[in-house]
Amino acid sequence: MSAEDPNPAATPTPCQDTQGDGRWMSLHNRFVSDSKDKEPDVLFVGDSLIQLMHQFGIWRQLFSPLHALNFGVGGDATQHVLWRLTNGELDNISPKVVVLWVGTNNHGHTPEQICSGIMAIVQVIKNKLPHARTLILGLLPRGKSPNPLRERNAKVNKLVQEAVSSLPHASFLNVDPGFVHSSGAISHQDMYDYLHLTPQGYQAVCEPLHAHLKSMLEKPAEN
Amino acid sequence: MSGDEVNPAAVAQPVEDVHGDGRWLSQHTRFVQECKDAEPDVLFVGDSMIQLMQQYEVWRDLFSPLHALNFGIGGDTTCNVLWRLQNGELDNIRPKVVVLWVGTNNHEHSAEQVAGGILTIAELLTSRLPKAKVVVLGLLPRGERPNPLREKNAAVNSFLRSWLPRLNHAQFLDTGYRNLSKPLSDLLLQILEDTPEERRASLI
Repeated sequence: MSAEDPNPAATPTPCQDTQGDGRWMSLHNRFVSDSKDKEPDVLFVGDSLIQLMHQFGIWRQLFSPLHALNFGVGGDATQHVLWRLTNGELDNISPKVVVLWVGTNNHGHTPEQICSGIMAIVQVIKNKLPHARTLILGLLPRGKSPNPLRERNAKVNKLVQEAVSSLPHASFLNVDPGFVHSSGAISHQDMYDYLHLTPQGYQAVCEPLHAHLKSMLEKPAEN
Repeated sequence: MSGDEVNPAAVAQPVEDVHGDGRWLSQHTRFVQECKDAEPDVLFVGDSMIQLMQQYEVWRDLFSPLHALNFGIGGDTTCNVLWRLQNGELDNIRPKVVVLWVGTNNHEHSAEQVAGGILTIAELLTSRLPKAKVVVLGLLPRGERPNPLREKNAAVNSFLRSWLPRLNHAQFLDTGYRNLSKPLSDLLLQILEDTPEERRASLI
């Protein structure tokens, strides 16, 4: 992989308002404003899988008690999250943990590019929040049956896991409870459109995540 | 709506699998299968506004008890819904009411075209299901602040308000932003009570 070619997955890029209602920028501005007002111990950042967590009972049940903020935006790829975090969403807050879940929307990018995009985000978080630890969640499988995106996501997970193994400020957590059945199929009871999680799907993902977060928060931060 | 030009919002079109995991077709296939197995009294069809209803308690509380099926797919335009209904999602079922909520994703089309697409779907429904009532929901405003899409959606609603009464058995329900579920469920209950109970063939 050439070092000269810029990686689109690692180049901060805002989302273009192609539809005409400016919703992406509205969400970003609200998050920047939240950063000024609030003092989260845990910050959740990513795409719709993070964003929609906030819409279900699971959020109030498991994560509100941890003083968590949710900066998820549906459709975001790594380059969008990178732009948001570089442009105000990390200002004025000092969470102990940043939970990062992004990469499944990086269409057209290779697993290597996506991994680099994720690692670029980890670096931005380290620069802006030197005392925070980043917990990167593994990308889930998607699609009703086996398909190239499942392979791509699995490859990203493998690369990210290797990349963080030597970093004291970041770690990887696989949150797939086994959504793919022995038949190779994913059930619509877990992912109603074979990508987004149902409340049942979120329960299966969030309970272990919550337990892991609690143990991270109980340990004193290194450095 | 007259004219010799074809309304692009009324042309049936499946969603192309550009990402590579075939999810749109998987959902459509599941709905076609549900038509073989289920006997819904109410069918909900549309985009994510319909689809996501099923993920919240409001579905279990208000709509499941009416024996409802949910055929919503996020991102769908009128073209996509039209294609799905023409390709199996109305086969083998005889719902008494169809709730239709689509149009906010028709970014390439004008308000008039979008309303025409919705009307075309309503006409398809009344022709395929002559005994059913069709309830068309008004498009909600969107965006944090006033913007062209709010004006467009309001214009769509305006067209629908005047065109739908010309169709037998179709009505328009625009409750606005805050207050949809209860008026909708009340309307559905009213329609279902007005419909004579049909004897069903034995369930085997």
